[in-house]
Amino acid sequence: MVSTIQNTDVKQKDADRAVVVAVTSRAVFDCGAEDGDDVYGVGVAFPLLQALQRVNERLLEENPAESLLFDVVLITTDSQQQQQSSRIISNTRHYGLEISRFCFSSEEDFIESLLTNHVDLFLSTDRSEAAQASHKGVFSALLNRKVASSEQLRVLFCGDAVIRPDTDSPSASQDAAQSFSAQLGEMRQRFGLLHSPLSIVLVTSRGGRESCGTALRTLRSRGVSVDEAYCLAGAPRSPFLSLLRPHFLLNNDLED
Amino acid sequence: MSLDPVQVMSGQVKELKVGPSSNGDSRGSWEEKEEFDKDKLGLTTKPKPVTGRRSRKVEGGVFFPKPENAVTVAVSSRVLFRTEREQKVFEQEGVEEYLRYQIEHENEPFTPGPAFPFVKALEAVNCRLRELYPQSEELFDIVLVTYNHAHVGIRLINTINHHNLFIERFCMTGGSSPIGYLKAWHTNLYLSADADKVREALSEGIAAATMFMSEKVTEVSESQLRVAFDGDAVLFSDESERIFKAHGLDKFFEHERENEDTLLDHGPLKGFLEALGKLQKKFYAKGQRLDCPIRTYLVTARSAASSGIRALKTLRAWGLEIDEALFLAGAPKGPMLEKIRPHIYFDDQMFHIEGAAEMGTVAAHVPYGIAQKHNAKQNPTVRK
Repeated sequence: MVSTIQNTDVKQKDADRAVVVAVTSRAVFDCGAEDGDDVYGVGVAFPLLQALQRVNERLLEENPAESLLFDVVLITTDSQQQQQSSRIISNTRHYGLEISRFCFSSEEDFIESLLTNHVDLFLSTDRSEAAQASHKGVFSALLNRKVASSEQLRVLFCGDAVIRPDTDSPSASQDAAQSFSAQLGEMRQRFGLLHSPLSIVLVTSRGGRESCGTALRTLRSRGVSVDEAYCLAGAPRSPFLSLLRPHFLLNNDLED
Repeated sequence: MSLDPVQVMSGQVKELKVGPSSNGDSRGSWEEKEEFDKDKLGLTTKPKPVTGRRSRKVEGGVFFPKPENAVTVAVSSRVLFRTEREQKVFEQEGVEEYLRYQIEHENEPFTPGPAFPFVKALEAVNCRLRELYPQSEELFDIVLVTYNHAHVGIRLINTINHHNLFIERFCMTGGSSPIGYLKAWHTNLYLSADADKVREALSEGIAAATMFMSEKVTEVSESQLRVAFDGDAVLFSDESERIFKAHGLDKFFEHERENEDTLLDHGPLKGFLEALGKLQKKFYAKGQRLDCPIRTYLVTARSAASSGIRALKTLRAWGLEIDEALFLAGAPKGPMLEKIRPHIYFDDQMFHIEGAAEMGTVAAHVPYGIAQKHNAKQNPTVRK
């Protein structure tokens, strides 16, 4: 059974316009040992949450009536976490995180939960979780485990088209991807070129300059203006990812 | 004017660290479709069609060397192409207007900049290398590394297409420092119009030089790459130059004589000369010494009979061959460079850079060493 709880400490966002980002509790908090310790450590997703919060703050600075904001939902994806609901809530308050809602679900119904909450992007550190959600049409991405900036939200688009013959490849997932990209693009437009709290980065790993050019044009046609572009043409990706420090990678092959 | 072109006989070859030329990339876990990149067909318009090239299939069916195996030359957009008009828009009207202008003119290719002939010559060498060693990754790899925003990306790609350049790798950092990316590319040489970035690269141990647009450009060879280097503070350290500046010419001569058998310390461009030498040997190995499409020159104010000896001994000890060493004994470098017609000439002193440019040679400034602390316009009768 899923229970969804609103965080009364945080102003709720406009359901129609907000960009709903769901993050797993295991990424948000480092739940540590089972010794009943009340305060959790900070998880991998902390810089992400701070960056999302900063984008919201800047959006509201530009326009106090802004409704295109990030709406962050914390979701549990296994029963063990599901049972930690009160501790999760208290820790959220303790750290002052801008989380609007909690979805306490288990491994059986978290995807359902994502769908009913109209989640635009699901972020997890667990590859198989993200792949499962993706298969069911929820746009998903892996959180970057390495240190990412908390100053600026850095979103990395992987420009290579990966064709996986075995996937049902629901076009719902592709639609979700495009819809999220368009929202992100629109948000980016709210800021100028310099000092933006959000940066959109494109990386093409395979293929030459034409594949990058095509990706740039495609993104542009969807209203996404790319800030930084890297065409690797076969060079190993990890040195570049270390420099780029994205919070998450979109359209990345989840079976990497 | 005594000029002694001297052939330097090389001793033992200094081994460059080069990874094994592995066959294909180890990404076997991905089952993506190999897409044949039709764009590569455009390359058959090059002077010598290379048939062996497509026998190497890396992902996507296109051949890309591993960065550590190739001799990577990173160029910025402002030296590869002419962007003065756009620069003016940027300076006078700000970045937003600059990008709007770029997008508006997206389908107008830029015209060639100071590094363009050099890059074309690198590609000509690659053609010859591929003929002889179709499986090898030991090639020049040209990467566009620019501070520019990705908004300019499409115009840059259109321009590369227009000029038929083989540049498949780039970084458009949107304002972030490019230095980290230079390292990620295992850059052997970085060319930029921005002296600060060049200095930063040098301080990180990457060979780098600043290039300038010049109105007069003499024609250079399309089939043979010619690279010319100054000696002190370019190939060698600036230790001797320091003596000269602090204590004058006589002390300099004395010092060089006394230390004739002591090797000079290396300078920022030594590694690049080494990389060129390594590629040259690949031609020699196939009996193409006379016809080698790479030729290197030392153009130094040192004098052959005296201070030049230490320079030659140092090169020999390093196992570096240089095809022609020109000891000018203080004479102006411009006329000699005009005879050589290098695609690029590296010097640490702006005085020489300007002198070269006046005569139509593309000269690149290496902002290294003691000369940077002095006025750019030196005493023209400097004799070493």
